[in-house]
Amino acid sequence: MAGSQDMFDAIVMADERFHGEGYQEGYEEGNSLGIIEGRQYGTLHGAKIGSEIGCYQGFASAWRCLLHSCATEKDSKKMKALESLIGMIQKFPYDDPTYDKLHEDLDKIRGKFKQVYTKSCR
Amino acid sequence: MKDSLVLLGRVPAHPDSRCWFLAWNPAGTLLASCGGDRRVRIWGTEGDSWICKSVLSEGHQRTVRKVAWSPCGNYLASASFDATTCIWKKNQDDFECVTTLEGHENEVKSVAWAPSGNLLATCSRDKSVWVWEVDEEDEYECVSVLNSHTQDVKHVVWHPSQELLASASYDDTVKLYREEEDDWVCYATLEGHESTVWSLAFDPSGQRLASCSDDRTVRIWRQYLPDNEQGVACSGSDPSWKCVCTLSGFHSRTIYDVAWCQLTGALATACGDDAIRVFEEDPSSDPQQPTFSLTAHLPQAHSQDVNCVAWNPKEQGLLASCSDDGEVAFWKYHRPEGI
Repeated sequence: MAGSQDMFDAIVMADERFHGEGYQEGYEEGNSLGIIEGRQYGTLHGAKIGSEIGCYQGFASAWRCLLHSCATEKDSKKMKALESLIGMIQKFPYDDPTYDKLHEDLDKIRGKFKQVYTKSCR
Repeated sequence: MKDSLVLLGRVPAHPDSRCWFLAWNPAGTLLASCGGDRRVRIWGTEGDSWICKSVLSEGHQRTVRKVAWSPCGNYLASASFDATTCIWKKNQDDFECVTTLEGHENEVKSVAWAPSGNLLATCSRDKSVWVWEVDEEDEYECVSVLNSHTQDVKHVVWHPSQELLASASYDDTVKLYREEEDDWVCYATLEGHESTVWSLAFDPSGQRLASCSDDRTVRIWRQYLPDNEQGVACSGSDPSWKCVCTLSGFHSRTIYDVAWCQLTGALATACGDDAIRVFEEDPSSDPQQPTFSLTAHLPQAHSQDVNCVAWNPKEQGLLASCSDDGEVAFWKYHRPEGI
């Protein structure tokens, strides 16, 4: 009696069971595809940020060398801003994408670069 | 209500164009207007009428959105959609462009001079606020680029006595900045408006700030210093700002400008419903919870959106307004009896 109940149970519940198994398989596949896509996106996005900051760092280092020899008061102000920019770039946590102030600090670096880059106006 | 605001005259300041902004010089004798025709015009009185004394053309390639006089009255700054800010030097009736400040990535929306005369602030659709320092030789240097807002920044204004800067944005917030160790930082964000904040005005004492918005309200914010009596929490040594009053239900469209009279404390608003309104604080109201009453409402002050209202700094009750219809209007405000 118990055996025939199990057999009918298997037939009646087949639809739901296959649905559940299908969902599970799909979920797992989606999960791994998502991780791959996420990694690709992360690589791209990370590279963009790295490239941008690298550009600022190169610019700042070059200007620091150029201004090193000059001694006017204006240049010392520029030097101070340059040192500040270089400091911000060095402090930036390149290996922690979950850093909560990532975008805030990035904006500060961009702002500092713009300030240094904008020549004095006359 | 209608009689509290009387029309003194109108001038077609920027024909076939919009007039975007007005600024009285510190002496109250000249009014600068700017518009979509890329020009700045300087207006002065001749007898009973207002005449155009100078036209500043050849300065900008696109709309001039705001103008601001330096505290000494010898310089005028103009902010333009062409992404530059021009500094004009006044020589009697002539103005000469002495410097062009570049750096913003797109439309400059506002410019303001600090009361000390040594600092200038600009803001732009590029979401940034720039602080510039000017030295004795009229050289301008950018001392800070602030990327705190997340959207278009519409207006910047300086505190009347402290070196404190406020900005208003399409991101619905007002931000406050001060100098900290040779750099400028955003130390407070005022949230509450439900849409774009278009303009700001400090009260004569600088303790309160009025903001106006696309959400059709005016908000009054009050500064609380650390260890204040009212027990308002502050973080560290920075003052805190709290919204102490909201004027809602008075305006039927976006409020584009708010002006706080430095002589009388009256608050004027410029609205997208073509009307000008004036509010006065109830003298008996609690300073921590002030109430304001509508003392003047002039519908159809202009035939289109009113973009700016400006109180004359020396003559009580003299108010100028300008509109998308290209006109500038002059008004006399009388506080109604029984207020």
